[in-house]
Amino acid sequence: MVEFKVHRVRFFDYMPSGIRCMAFHSKADRLALARLDGSVEIINFSNNYFQEKVIPGNDSRSIEAICWVGCDRLFTAGLNGEIVEFDLERLCPKYTLDAFGGPIWTAACNSEETHFAFGCEDGSVKLFEILPDKIQFERNLDRQKGRILSLSWHKSGTLIAAGSLDVIRVFDVKSGHSVQRILVDKGPAGTHNKDCVVWNVAFLSDYTIVSGDSVGKVQIWDANKGTLIKTHLVSKWDVLSLSVSENEDSIVAGTSEGTVVQFQLLSPTIGDTETQWIRTRTFKHHTHDVRAVTETKTAVVSGGLDTQLVICSLLDKVEVKPSESVLRKVIFPHRTLVSCAKKPGLLLFQFPDQLELWRLGGTDTVGKPGESLPVTRKPEKLLQLKRKGDDHICCSTISECGQWIAYSTVTSIRLYQLQCESNNISITKVSKLPKVLRSAHQLQFSADSSKLFVASEQATIHVISLSRSECKHVHTFKPKSGSSAPVHLLAASADGQWLTSANRHCEINVYNLKKLKHHCMLPVYNSLPSAMAIHPETNNLLIAHADQQIFEFSTVDKQYTDWSRKLHKEGFHKCRIKWHTPITHITFNPSAPSQVMLHDTYMFCIIDQSLPLDGLKAQFYSQLTPKDMSETDRPSKTNAFKMCTKYQPLLHVNVLEDDWLVVVERPLIDIHSQLPAPVRQKKFGT
Amino acid sequence: MNIDVKAVGLGADSSDDEDAPEEVTFEKAKADAVRSMRNALDTIKRDKELLKEKRRKRQELFQQQKKRKLLSEDVLEEIELAYTKKRKTLDSEEQEKESEEDESSEDEDEVVNARLKDSYKAVRLKDQIDANARQESASDFIRSRLYGPGTNRTTTNHMLSLKNKTGMNKTAAVQFVDKNWGSEKKGEAEKFKKRWIQNQNMITN
Repeated sequence: MVEFKVHRVRFFDYMPSGIRCMAFHSKADRLALARLDGSVEIINFSNNYFQEKVIPGNDSRSIEAICWVGCDRLFTAGLNGEIVEFDLERLCPKYTLDAFGGPIWTAACNSEETHFAFGCEDGSVKLFEILPDKIQFERNLDRQKGRILSLSWHKSGTLIAAGSLDVIRVFDVKSGHSVQRILVDKGPAGTHNKDCVVWNVAFLSDYTIVSGDSVGKVQIWDANKGTLIKTHLVSKWDVLSLSVSENEDSIVAGTSEGTVVQFQLLSPTIGDTETQWIRTRTFKHHTHDVRAVTETKTAVVSGGLDTQLVICSLLDKVEVKPSESVLRKVIFPHRTLVSCAKKPGLLLFQFPDQLELWRLGGTDTVGKPGESLPVTRKPEKLLQLKRKGDDHICCSTISECGQWIAYSTVTSIRLYQLQCESNNISITKVSKLPKVLRSAHQLQFSADSSKLFVASEQATIHVISLSRSECKHVHTFKPKSGSSAPVHLLAASADGQWLTSANRHCEINVYNLKKLKHHCMLPVYNSLPSAMAIHPETNNLLIAHADQQIFEFSTVDKQYTDWSRKLHKEGFHKCRIKWHTPITHITFNPSAPSQVMLHDTYMFCIIDQSLPLDGLKAQFYSQLTPKDMSETDRPSKTNAFKMCTKYQPLLHVNVLEDDWLVVVERPLIDIHSQLPAPVRQKKFGT
Repeated sequence: MNIDVKAVGLGADSSDDEDAPEEVTFEKAKADAVRSMRNALDTIKRDKELLKEKRRKRQELFQQQKKRKLLSEDVLEEIELAYTKKRKTLDSEEQEKESEEDESSEDEDEVVNARLKDSYKAVRLKDQIDANARQESASDFIRSRLYGPGTNRTTTNHMLSLKNKTGMNKTAAVQFVDKNWGSEKKGEAEKFKKRWIQNQNMITN
């Protein structure tokens, strides 16, 4: 039976950035997503839509187009005129290339993946050749008068369709000349004074061009003759995104109003062989402009300025489990942005451009369960630490005692020492860090705050000893398998003996800190670990994976524990099926060592390892007033799992001493209030 | 042929309508006409000359003002001399430097160059400014197409209030449901209320 007093925190102003463009790679089943702040995320669709990799953004980088080449190369191009290739192992840009054409509006790769075409502000389409380790400028196609806003290669690689202001041009790639010029009409009267911007074009293999423009039309043209086949007026505002499915039987268009419209190639009468593009479905999952859409084999993926990624399964294509047919929204990041210093009651919030340190408030009154207590000491913001340079912060942490803060960007790591007397705060930067530290994917302080563990970008873990005078590099751990995948989780044991790391290849390694060598590696489970923690007393490692499975591994015995095997034999509780967001944090209750607390975005639950696991398949209720229940009822209602969905959406949950719980929430309406202006929609009766 | 002009004053002195008009000699008429034409030409000439004078005076005035603004010629000459001198000294200094560098050992040069290559890069400031300007204009273009005039945008408050009013459980607009919204307008409303109450009190007193 557990009872907690809860610090309900809502002062973390987490604000995600809008989605600008996306590219899906069907073989790897991964989606690359670029946001307006320049960050790139990779979502693994086969791993329960887990946010696998996040490349932090940069103030000077703006991304307008993103493209996969092969399974492991990712290119973006933006308004600063630069083409960036990203290193997906080190999670940073590999190199940047200036296209010398002004801001780049669009990029497209041909189907053989040998050439790249970039549409630039000065009206030229630049062709780059893709070499194994870089890309090289080949030539320019004929330069046009207006800016090129959209590009599409024909499947054969001989023709390119380019959309500009009021016109679509078809270029012959070999000669570079424009072979066809299609004038796009400006729509119904009233919009004649503004140019019609062709935001998207798609070149199909039967030589038809599909275009989406700023008047709200999706038009289908014949590229050989240059004539219009069909016009569909989809909205009163712009059609901002367009995508064609792989087998070219379905087109999806996203508009400014937030609707996503699907067109399918069907024959209007049954039995007729002649097919037409017919508008079939309309989805209204977004409130703001939809700037990126793509289609996978079974779903329509859309993202826009409301910062949510929506994956809507097309029910006629879903074959497998019914749980896959549900609508998924990826709203919050799949990792934790909050660190907690338990002893002094401090919270560190990570923003892309700064860190904020807050002290929790307090109350002096005592109340009954379910009551909300008045706050006598208000939470106060102690520190706001702004980063230096243009790169965004990728990870940060605070030590348990609250005296050390560390954060890292892709170019540097910074360590600060904090002195926090009753009312005075002073912070000093540790200037001489060991040269081996360049950038980190994950940072973690040891439990006694004497060491800092740095998961570097070369897939190694550095151990740095901390002291008031200097910081020395003690040791570097290398993974046993020699894998270069980035490490995204680190966990240290409370007694300072063990350190575990998890990387993006689903490998989990355990290192012995006293002997400074590798201890063992866990059997690889196919799903990415999303949260990890070491029990303070038994030193067992608890791991939660992206597919909602939980394992417990004993570091001493080098095998899974009996409890873990029992858990898998019994099967997990059926309520778990409803969990769509991964578990992002595991922690333990200091006053009850057998209790494990884990949370995802919509619930937190406590698993009591001492209680029996049977009865999992039976229903349970979250107990609000255990003291009110009679003595005889209690034993039958005890269950190993207790879940609470009262606080949502959650960004972080942690257990402090004296049965206090910290719950950091971020209500969606607070995010909504800071989004850019949506389009005015006239509704009947208002 | 001389035609004698005689004032025919037969009978009454009063001029009658029936009398024949006075005869004016051809010469006199010619003289009159010529005189009047000459007068007209003279006035035109005079006007032209007056205008010319005015223009000339104005021109002179402007020139004087300009002269006053610019520095005197002497100062300009001095400055030009100084500029050419400076240029010459710089060039000579550069030449000296180059000769010095040539004299120094090759190894040092290479090391210096290598170091300079890694940590510094020569960039033309003009290029950067151009690039920034182009990026600005591109982002302005997209901003004006998405949020500029004619795009019919509304506020988040409006959109969420619509949702509240058309949803299953109809509630009020968001600024009344959630206390944090619309704080500016609420503040203004409070001020207005206070002022109004004050006015009312003053009127009654």
